[in-house]
Amino acid sequence: MSKEKIQLSEALEDIMPSEYQEMVATATFGNEDRSWKDIGSSKELIEQHSLCAGCPESIAFRYILSSIPAPEDTVFVGSTGCTSLVFPMVGVQNIHSLFGNQNAVASGLKRALKVRFPDVNKDVIVLAGDGATVDIGLDMTMQSWFRQENFTTICFDNELYANTGGQESGLMQKGFVSKMAPMGKKFEKVRLPEIAFEAGCHYVACLTVSKPNRVEKAIRNAVYVAREFGPTYVQLYTPCILEIGKQSMEGLDEMKDAEAIGGRFVMKEFMTDEVKEFLKEKDAEQKARKKAAKAAVSA
Amino acid sequence: MEQYVVKPGPEAFLPPAAASMGIVLPDPGEAHYEGRIIDEEDAYEQIARKLLGAKVPTIFPGPLVLWKWNEKAGKKAEAIRELANALPARLIPMADYRPKYPKIDPEVEINPNHPNLTIWHNKIDACIFVGVHCHQANLALKIIRGGTDCFTIALCAQAGHEDACASFRDINVEKIKKLTETVKRLKSEGVESQALPFTQIKMTRAGRVA
Amino acid sequence: MNKKVEPKSNKILVSESVNLGEEGLKGQKVTDPNVMMFESEREPNFLTGSEVIKAAIKRANLDVMIAYPITPQSEAAALIGELFAEGYVREYFRGESEFAVMSQCAGAAFGGARVFTTTAGPGTLRAMENFPMWAGSRLPIQVCVTCRGINSPLSIQPDTLEMAYLLETGMLVWHAETAQDLYDWILGGFMVSEQPDVHLPLALCCDGFFVTHTKDTVMLQGEEMCLPRYDPYRSPVPCMDMECPPIRMMRDPFIMKSNYISYMTHASWQQEIHAAVERSRKHTLPIMNGSLIDTENVDREILIVASGTAVSQGREAIRLLEEEGIKVGLVKIKSIRPFPTEEVREATANAKTIFVPEFNIRGWLAREIKAILPNNERVIAGPHVAGGMTMPSEVIVEEIKKGLGIKSATMDRRG
Ligand SMILES: Cc1ncc(C[n+]2csc(CCOP(=O)(O)OP(=O)(O)O)c2C)c(N)n1
Ligand code: SF4
Ligand SMILES: [Mg+2]
Repeated sequence: MSKEKIQLSEALEDIMPSEYQEMVATATFGNEDRSWKDIGSSKELIEQHSLCAGCPESIAFRYILSSIPAPEDTVFVGSTGCTSLVFPMVGVQNIHSLFGNQNAVASGLKRALKVRFPDVNKDVIVLAGDGATVDIGLDMTMQSWFRQENFTTICFDNELYANTGGQESGLMQKGFVSKMAPMGKKFEKVRLPEIAFEAGCHYVACLTVSKPNRVEKAIRNAVYVAREFGPTYVQLYTPCILEIGKQSMEGLDEMKDAEAIGGRFVMKEFMTDEVKEFLKEKDAEQKARKKAAKAAVSA
Repeated sequence: MEQYVVKPGPEAFLPPAAASMGIVLPDPGEAHYEGRIIDEEDAYEQIARKLLGAKVPTIFPGPLVLWKWNEKAGKKAEAIRELANALPARLIPMADYRPKYPKIDPEVEINPNHPNLTIWHNKIDACIFVGVHCHQANLALKIIRGGTDCFTIALCAQAGHEDACASFRDINVEKIKKLTETVKRLKSEGVESQALPFTQIKMTRAGRVA
Repeated sequence: MNKKVEPKSNKILVSESVNLGEEGLKGQKVTDPNVMMFESEREPNFLTGSEVIKAAIKRANLDVMIAYPITPQSEAAALIGELFAEGYVREYFRGESEFAVMSQCAGAAFGGARVFTTTAGPGTLRAMENFPMWAGSRLPIQVCVTCRGINSPLSIQPDTLEMAYLLETGMLVWHAETAQDLYDWILGGFMVSEQPDVHLPLALCCDGFFVTHTKDTVMLQGEEMCLPRYDPYRSPVPCMDMECPPIRMMRDPFIMKSNYISYMTHASWQQEIHAAVERSRKHTLPIMNGSLIDTENVDREILIVASGTAVSQGREAIRLLEEEGIKVGLVKIKSIRPFPTEEVREATANAKTIFVPEFNIRGWLAREIKAILPNNERVIAGPHVAGGMTMPSEVIVEEIKKGLGIKSATMDRRG
């Protein structure tokens, strides 16, 4: 929907909750170069939610929602899990239907939107937990990649089933003792980023959410590439502080440790040469736009 | 078996859906009042009288009219404001349908998941649903019938609501205006509004100012 | 409470926002469904059930079809692929499993598309978690279920047991007897399930092979007509395309907090789904010739009440019995959800004995009927066949004679 359509009816504007008045006035709809840096100066597309205090999923949501290039034409698809506690509070339409079927839902959705809006680019973004992406939904995750569906899959990797109380998941580290892995997990953390690239994703990134710049870049790359080339995949480490026994302040340290040399989440990116070229052009375009905007302001 | 009547509650721990009690929605040109099909023309006056007779008549506009997502929506919003002014009636928005965290302020908003909180808090005895998606309206209307004594009216742009005590179908700007005209005519004929004095809520980006 | 609804206008209500005369696909004209279904000329065609499904979809102005192979629906699903290749369907692909397909259908319907798919037997059960989700989310998807066996050992043969699993999903469930039913109800089904006050998925069931793979004469309208396109902005829930408010919208947020408000909301939500099933009655009447059941000679003391191809077999049995001077009436149940409670009560009011022949071993239809009839000892569940067995009319004759205490020799020679 164009930014112009995201407005209140004048006759009833003054009974609307402040939150919505603020959203219409200052949210960064329609600004392709929106960024996590707008947080603080513009209305965020997320309201108060019920994640555990200090849960890194919360900050991950904020970075993602502030940096997707076209929230006014984006629909998210989620899955059952901690993320679904946030989604009702997100100012972008989103779908939850079942646990694990998110990439199937997104496949149908993206195709329907292409049929209905042949001239508008509608971004579909899947955002689901590791259990949803890698275990119960792996078939549908990978099949959507094989089929070259034009949408981005984001996995919030907290290395366990958080919402059901901390059970073993395929992305859990080997040896970790948890519910349903009482003697420690017996097999390695599934190498989904590598698998994703092999399965046909044109852009893959795996990182923590400790650095907003990096998250923003990865998400924007993934969305742009999904429009032009096909499936893309971003895996974000969002440690479940509750289940690994950390305090609410300790999430950031946990992520920093994990991304340090030798850690499980040293940032990695895979992309085809074509995509590399394309992203370079995109970067140049964005720089030019920003320069023009600056010039316009100072003129 | 006796015909079910869609009356204000409090009706039951879990009141039935009116459709499951054999209440059928009106066809085009018709409306319903307490579950009986009536001519749409007759509905204007019956509903206008009900609203004028209420102590706390309240309109709950929903997202379909609160947002100007098309020209019609903006016009409907104007017509709703005129109706509110003519009665007079309070305006309390149903801004969205999410179960809200941590909780709503029942004085200035209504939520389909617990509409009774707003009804009780403001002692609303007659209300209008307009611009609310039908599924969400039905959820709310049933809960209101279950636990409150509020007379519910639906101005529905689609097929109408048998879970409301009274409902129009295919509502549009003209029909809302016609309801407003009926209110004005009744008032000119001496039917007095029983509404208790109130100040319309007023919100800004910074918060509530009235 | 399943009240009967009296037909008032016997017209399909059509959205005002539909532009009749507009171009559909391949130069088809968007036609008032009343004109298309009830007034336009029809020509006889000799077709298999699968070809009939294709013929209906060709005129359905369909946005999305998602396919997966399973006998006996594979042929129909592939034929719709041909329609897509010809340009009569806007989007088509093969999913990876029935579970995935039904979720893909959900995604497309959430996005505002008219969606059709087909499945059968194990496919229906593989997909099962999706069906109450479809209904709960008010997605008006149509799935044609060509019934076949479901249990181990595997069988591709006709058997209607899977329908029992669909009954409490919140979907509309219809049971076609003939290819003509199938054709008319596919088109009419979209018009019913997309009504804003209904807006529910439809499981349009037929008996595999008996309907899908046999040829029958079916009356079809011209191909130059098609249904109006689905209008997602009349939906009772917001369409997920970021073109309509509210944009802060999850379809559908969890309602499961441990408090009374949540319980109440969820209960109210469930009631609303079944209320919507009830509302479909009014809209279904024009599609089904004015009633959810058909009746023949229901003033008789002996009745056969059946659905699907058991009706055809029952009709033949009645002819055979008539030759012997035994008079039997017939009730054909067309809609299983909503269930024609009052209609069946009325039709069976004078019956002393009611036989319910079924193509499944458990007799779910007889159970449904027993649950709503006074003096239900009148109901004799059977005969039952399963696993692909045919139901020779003589078997019904035999069952009826046995039930009436009449000696019969007809089946003695069968091994
Ligand atoms: C079919 C089905 N199986 C199991 C569940 C229970 N369940 C709900 S959430 C969840 C775990 C989610 O884990 P993950 O995807 O990693 O998300 P997280 O909560 O960790 O963010 C499970 C197992 C379910 N809802 N549905
Ligand atoms: S359980 Fe874990 S993942 Fe879920 S909100 Fe709490 S900290 Fe975050
Ligand atoms: Mg997890």
